[in-house]
Amino acid sequence: MWNLQEYRIASSPAEAVALMRKGPGKGAYIAGGTDMLLEHPACDFVVDVNNAGIGDIARTPGGDLFLGAAATLQGLVDNNFVREFAGGAISKSASQCGNRPVRSTATVGGNLCNALPSADMAPVLLALDATCYIADEDCQESLPLTDFFVGPRMTVLEDRLLVGVALPGECAGWRCAAHKLTRTAEDISLVQVAVSLGMDDGKIQEARIALGAVSPVPMRAVLAETMLAGQEITAVTPDVLRDVATIAAGECDPLDDHRASAEYRRDMVNVLTRRLITRILTDDGDNMEGGAA
Amino acid sequence: MNISFNLNGSATNLEVAPGESLLQALRASRVFSVKLGCETGDCGSCTVLLDGQPVNSCMVVAARVNGSHVTTMEGLLGDDLMIRLQTELVEHGAVQCGYCIPGLLISLYALVKQGPSCGGEIDEEVIRHALTGNLCRCTGYVKPVEAARAVVAAMEVPK
Ligand SMILES: Cc1cc2nc3c(=O)[nH]c(=O)nc-3n(C[C@H](O)[C@H](O)[C@H](O)COP(=O)(O)OP(=O)(O)OC[C@H]3O[C@@H](n4cnc5c(N)ncnc54)[C@H](O)[C@@H]3O)c2cc1C
Ligand code: FES
Ligand code: FES
Repeated sequence: MWNLQEYRIASSPAEAVALMRKGPGKGAYIAGGTDMLLEHPACDFVVDVNNAGIGDIARTPGGDLFLGAAATLQGLVDNNFVREFAGGAISKSASQCGNRPVRSTATVGGNLCNALPSADMAPVLLALDATCYIADEDCQESLPLTDFFVGPRMTVLEDRLLVGVALPGECAGWRCAAHKLTRTAEDISLVQVAVSLGMDDGKIQEARIALGAVSPVPMRAVLAETMLAGQEITAVTPDVLRDVATIAAGECDPLDDHRASAEYRRDMVNVLTRRLITRILTDDGDNMEGGAA
Repeated sequence: MNISFNLNGSATNLEVAPGESLLQALRASRVFSVKLGCETGDCGSCTVLLDGQPVNSCMVVAARVNGSHVTTMEGLLGDDLMIRLQTELVEHGAVQCGYCIPGLLISLYALVKQGPSCGGEIDEEVIRHALTGNLCRCTGYVKPVEAARAVVAAMEVPK
């Protein structure tokens, strides 16, 4: 059994941070607990954030999509705002995380705060310009998701609470496609790529390429993005695509491990980047709808 | 610590350790339909309904269910839909050792009760997606799916 002295339940973000700092001993936040119960990290107490009022999913009057940290992955699959945003890309990525019972409790905040290089919600949220909201006892801070991860299993949080992430309304109409490459459907990602393109007037106005499991933290391939942004859609020839994908593959820094070699991972970044951009540029959008049950 | 919750329709008080899982707490209370398989969230033999949603009870801290509704197979015996699901599983030869069956039935029950999130039909793909968390080492992954399709075909699908 997991050796815990105390299970504390917070009813607001400020209380969660206060309960965390109260001691005695070492504490940790817990949301769905699907990572915590697997790993039983050494701590004296946990602070449950499921009742802290950070589980809502909402569309702001300005059109931004807010995902509370304690929103469950199944909540992201089912919610209509999420299913509509950027063609349902976030719902689809959530539907491919874990299995059905895991998604009932696993949260988007837990996925990001656990900060694995392979965290499956990170690439799609990075590709849609997510901003993180962080609570301290008496103030809030926001910062881009790109600055949230500082290393494998490390974030900027320290003992503060992730309240949620917001996706800007401008991204709602972007076309986004993501791919999770795994050995079996249940396994940890070998490579993830998420691409989103904001298109207008026959031009790619905005381009985002986000990569997971191929560097110490989930990352954006910014050099490759710059090559696409501002291009006429008709100018994105197979040669241009090959160059963009090669640059993206050069930007990552994958590891060799028992699942795959670094070389294979880098090759797959190349292949998937090319395929996803092609899919977005040639699709009528229908087969990018959000996931199934 | 003490928790109170609704277990299969009855108000229940349990003394649990802060780090105990719901699976451990339920089996200690002699709720034996809930099986311990992997304790890593992979096999689904410990699946129960927490406020109507299927969860792996090995992946839920017992302390968390304070104030919630927990439903296990014991609470669904005699339920119309559950009887239909049980009957079709047997008819389709989907039950051998039986270890995975309570968890499998809970997952199917939740699917048919709620319908797919997109509001469409419960087709084979949707059934398979709903059963991603239920491993069966005996009969495999054809017969349970066929049984579920038979149940769905014989009823009005909730929209
Ligand atoms: C069978 C199985 C399959 C899985 N498959 C996948 C998969 O395919 N892809 C994938 O990415 N993951 C997968 N996971 C891992 C896990 O389910 C996800 O990462 C999940 O989203 C974690 O969320 P949680 O709420 O359960 O986190 P918890 O276990 O509650 O917490 C995880 C970490 O985040 C911290 N934390 C949680 N919420 C906050 C907050 N609001 N503020 C600050 N810190 C916080 C906790 O202290 C802890 O360190 C799987 C797990 C299991 C058991
Ligand atoms: S025992 Fe819970 S999923 Fe296997
Ligand atoms: S019937 Fe034996 S594991 Fe499924």
